[in-house]
Parts: sequence; C-alpha cells; structure tokens
Amino acid sequence: MRQQLIQALVALLLIAAILLGVEFGVREGYLKAYEFPPASRIAQGFVELTTVGFPTGVTIWTHTFVTVMRILKGYVAAIVIAVPLGLLIGAVPVLDKMTAPLIVFFRSVATLSLLPLAIVWFGAGELTKVILIGYGCFWVMLSNVIAGVKYVDPALIRAARSFRVSGWTLYREVVLPAALPRMFAGARVALGVGFMVIVGAEMIGTIQGLGALIMEARSFYRSEITVIGMLVIGVLGFLISSGLAAFERLLLPWGGGSSEASR
Amino acid sequence: MRSGSRMGDAMWGLAGILIVLAAWELATRLGAIDPTIFPGPIAAIRSAAQRLPASVFLDNMAWSLFRVVGGFILGAVAGTVIGFAAGWYRGFGYFARPLIELLRPIPPLAWIPLAIIWFGLGEPSKFFIVFLGAFFPIVTSAYHGITHVDPSLIRASRSFGLKGLGMLFHVGIPASAPDLATGLRIGWGLSFGVLVAAELIAANRGLGFMIMNERTSGGSVSVIIVGILLIGLLNLVTDAALAAFIRRWIGRWHGG
Repeated sequence: MRQQLIQALVALLLIAAILLGVEFGVREGYLKAYEFPPASRIAQGFVELTTVGFPTGVTIWTHTFVTVMRILKGYVAAIVIAVPLGLLIGAVPVLDKMTAPLIVFFRSVATLSLLPLAIVWFGAGELTKVILIGYGCFWVMLSNVIAGVKYVDPALIRAARSFRVSGWTLYREVVLPAALPRMFAGARVALGVGFMVIVGAEMIGTIQGLGALIMEARSFYRSEITVIGMLVIGVLGFLISSGLAAFERLLLPWGGGSSEASR
Repeated sequence: MRSGSRMGDAMWGLAGILIVLAAWELATRLGAIDPTIFPGPIAAIRSAAQRLPASVFLDNMAWSLFRVVGGFILGAVAGTVIGFAAGWYRGFGYFARPLIELLRPIPPLAWIPLAIIWFGLGEPSKFFIVFLGAFFPIVTSAYHGITHVDPSLIRASRSFGLKGLGMLFHVGIPASAPDLATGLRIGWGLSFGVLVAAELIAANRGLGFMIMNERTSGGSVSVIIVGILLIGLLNLVTDAALAAFIRRWIGRWHGG
C-alpha cells in the first residue's frame, strides 16, 4: 500500500517535471516548439481537434471512430474464420503437420508488406485496410486456436476416457473448455496486432483515422496534433487490452491461459 | 523413433507447402485468377528476375537487415539493462516504470511522424522505430523475469555470501534468462514488422521501399510478390537463427 503510494507520487512528479521542463525549455528557447510541443500547445490543439477538427471538419472523435470500426471489421472477420479452421486443424494431426510450416511462414510475412499488393488487388480504399488487419489478426488467432486444442492436458483426456467419455462429447465437454483460455489469449494478442497494423495502414492513402491524423499533422508542421493523436492511440490501446483482460476474467474464471499466449 | 517422427512431420509439412504452390500455379494456368495481377510462382520469379537484377534485391535486403539488426541491438541492450535495473533497484524502478507503462501502449509505428520530426528521413529515424519495436517487449520481459526470481534462490545465494551485483549476475540474470529469451524473440519479430512498415511509408531503399516503389511507379506485381516472399523468408531464417542462439545461451543454466 505504502509502496503504491510512493510509486504514484513519483510518477506524478516525474510527469509534471517533464511537462514543465519542456514548457520552460521552449519558452526560454532551448527547445524548438515544433520538435517538442509544450503542454500548453497540446491543450490548445486538443480543443481545436474536438471542435474544429483537423483537417477542418474531421474531429478527433471521427478519427477514433473510423479507426475503431476498421479494426473491428478486420478483427471480427479474422476471428470468425480462424476459430472453426483452427478447431479443425487442431483436432486432425495430419492437417496440423501439413499446415504447420505454412502457418509459420504466413505469420513471418510482415503484415504491412502486403500493403502494395493489397492496393494492386483491392485499390487504396477501405477494403485494403480491413483486409490487412484481418490478415494480421488471422494468423495469430489461428495458431493460438490450434495450440489450444493440441496442448490440452493429456491427464484431462485420460481422466475423461476413464469415465467413458469419448468422441464428440469429449471434444465438447473437455477439449473445448480446456482450449478456451488459450483461444481467448490469442484473441487478445490478435487485437493488439490489429491495432498495430491499422496505424501503419492508415498512414497511406487516407485522411481519416488516427494513423492518418498523426501523419497529416506532421506534414502541416502541427507536431502538437501528432502528439495528441499518439496519446489517443495509446489510451485506446490501453483501454482495449485492459478491457479484454477484464472480460476474459469474467468469462473464464478457470482461465489462467493468458500468460502462455504466443504473439 | 523420435527423429523418425520428426522426419515424418517434415515430409507432411513439405507436402503442405507443395500443395499450396501447385494450387497457386494451377489457378493462374487455368485462369481461375488473373495472372496480370496475381502471377503464378514460376512466372513471378521469372519476370521479377527480368525486371530487376539480383544485385538490386540483395542491396535492398542488406539495407533492411542492417537497419533491423542495428535497431534491434540498441533496443535489446537498452531494454535488458533498464528492465533488469528497474526490477533489481527499487529506487530506479520508481522512475523507470511509470515512463515505460505510459509509453508502452503506443505502437511503434505511431512514432513514425515524430521520428521524422526529430531525426529527419534518414537512417536514424528507422533505427529509432526499430529500437522501439525491440525495446518494449524486451524491457517488459526483463523486468518480469528479474522480479519473479524464485525467492529461495535469493535466500540460498545470500547464505553463500552473495550480494549486490554478484547476486544480480550469478543468480538474478541466469534465473530470468527464459523470460528475457521470450522477450527477445517477440522483440525481433516486432522489429522486423515495424521496419518493413517504416520503409513503406518513408524510405528510399530497403525491401519495404522496393515493393512500395514498384507499386507507386507502376512497376511489376511480380517484384512485389517476390519481395513479400523474401521479407517472409528473411524473417523466418533470422528468427530461427536467433532462437538457436538463445537456446545455446540459456542452455548453460537451464539445460537442454
């Protein structure tokens, strides 16, 4: 308790010191406001972003909403395909052996490297962004679903067998619940991946979305708006990951799988 | 027995790869997919080789590799030192932890505009982005490892008279090596992905630039496809090398 108090106090003082330091540094001419936007400017920029918007008419809420919707579309599509496919591959050893190196390879392909190809195929619009997010989320989710099914504790299965549980009932009553924590962890990591991909994908060929906002602001020498965009991205990322973790605890009280998640 | 089944697994894997390649080739031959925007594997490699000499591919690959290795080493060293120090010395932890926790949710790619503002369009901004990609997973895992060392190890080593730096180097670091290893692997993958993205968005060489440039200058899809496959292979090979290196390194303390 006392340690937490000290920690919170030090954190607050540290942040205050940094903000004041930058403010002072800019005012005295040691730092360039363009390179290190001071808090006062960031506050002004935030007001501008919530009322007028940047570019004019597009407020920070619109940017955030557009980004979140893109992530959700690609993410949901990826989960919907990856879960049944992963359950199938995980349950059939031959399929698992045949797909293992392919999945490793497709996961190694940096998602954003597909951007030029996706533009050739689907144009530079919305579909390309959603597909890239879907690609990134899909392979992470797929390998976690497979691993979840494959690495169910053999003792559980032996125990179920000795109670004469087998076949579909075994799968539904033992394998699936045991695989769920891992699958959930995969879903959490996948969302993080989607979040990472979107910021990059939005830097090209759009003016809406948080990735576009921070890039546009830079080319108009509005670094304080870039910083606000980054902070909003950070808060959003934090809310998403802590929200999912809370949801996971609520839904899977037997849980405990989150720390085993592979990236 | 064990090597036999591993051989069997490899054969199945190879069969899977061949099936996908054959299906891809066949789909273009039979006209199921349009070969002008999605050439088959043979056609893609052939026309990519015609369009660009191998030296161009190798040159861009060398630049990408240089950036990702350089940025990764910086991030790994900083992440390891800061993570261990923050976990080992409480006072330092008070200062380092809030800053790390505050910046960690911001994905490395979101730093690209600021990196350009601070470092311009040259090499330092790429190093910085790759650095961030490596730093956060590594600092987190180093911190987690050093704060979860089995207390009985600490007590035992204390009763043998170890303390301070001696205990850190002989007990703390070896005990947290597996955690650090996980962080290093994740950090490498992230560094790699982040670099390609940074090269797509703002660079004038490197594999990411090569494929994006091919698209914006109306070049050939084949080069893009071969470039993507090269990026995937490079990541795969380097990750395997890193994994082997790590296994040898922590094998000294953790067996196997």
